[in-house]
Amino acid sequence: MKTAADPVRDYLSAVEREASALPADRRQELLADLAEHIEVTRAERPDAAIGEVLAELGDPRTIAATALAEAENGAAGAPARGGVGAPARRGKVHPLVPLLMLTFSLPFIMIFPTHPGPLIGVLFRITGAVLLCTSVHWTAVQKTTGVMLTAVLPTAVMTAWNLSSGGPAGDGPALLANLATVALMAGTAAWLWRVRRA
Amino acid sequence: MEPGDSTKQARAAAQLRKGVLEYCVLALMRDRPRYGVELLHALEESGALATSQGTVYPLLSRLRRDDLVTTTWQESASGPPRRYYALTDSGRAALDEFTRVWPGFRNAVDAFLTTPHPPTGDLA
Repeated sequence: MKTAADPVRDYLSAVEREASALPADRRQELLADLAEHIEVTRAERPDAAIGEVLAELGDPRTIAATALAEAENGAAGAPARGGVGAPARRGKVHPLVPLLMLTFSLPFIMIFPTHPGPLIGVLFRITGAVLLCTSVHWTAVQKTTGVMLTAVLPTAVMTAWNLSSGGPAGDGPALLANLATVALMAGTAAWLWRVRRA
Repeated sequence: MEPGDSTKQARAAAQLRKGVLEYCVLALMRDRPRYGVELLHALEESGALATSQGTVYPLLSRLRRDDLVTTTWQESASGPPRRYYALTDSGRAALDEFTRVWPGFRNAVDAFLTTPHPPTGDLA
């Protein structure tokens, strides 16, 4: 079926030529959209001549000109969107990073209880909390809940535990308390992972 | 100058279309996601908004970049998978805003077009 003269290929290369002033990714996107349109139209209207399909799609020069105008449009609108974009750039860390840092800060301390294990664990927790708060993947309420449950509450409980000599003595209860806290932190992290925005 | 006149008419229609096309495209997605060819058919059937089909794709691309629509691929019973366009929350907000201002805009233009010109003496 493929012959020397392939009107679809000719058409798409004409668009590509006319749109050479477009950034490469925009141009590829446009070509992919048009190729998809041609394919879908041919599947839906098998009887339509390919020339007719291409004629309806329009003059490659007109399409390229529209694409260029839209690109300039976007550039003109950029300052307005820049305000929204700025925090987005700040929080472009993968959502797993803060969650893992928060969750593993305590197991890390449990595994390396001697200096500087706890210090590194606490730094993990602080960094994780900061990354969580600056992320674009959660709402303010979700961030507050997350930081409370994974950082503030565990830190407060542990500080109180360590400072109070009245707490149950021995490693057993401490291990139990630690495991419960880890479960709480992991659960919260799992919840944050589920409710995150893409 | 017949050809010149028809070109001017076409230009007026094109200017109008340029302003409202993206909101009509957003409105087409109000109730359910639509794929490209489907959107173009709907525009074509409307008559006044019919445009060279290919020019709608750069518009859809901008709507996607501006986060007014999202796209998902869906398999089809016939032919290749289709890329479906759906409104995002901000797309819906933009459409609601346009829906709110449009009647006032339309009425103002209608008023200008239908009200007889006041005699020039009135202003003096």
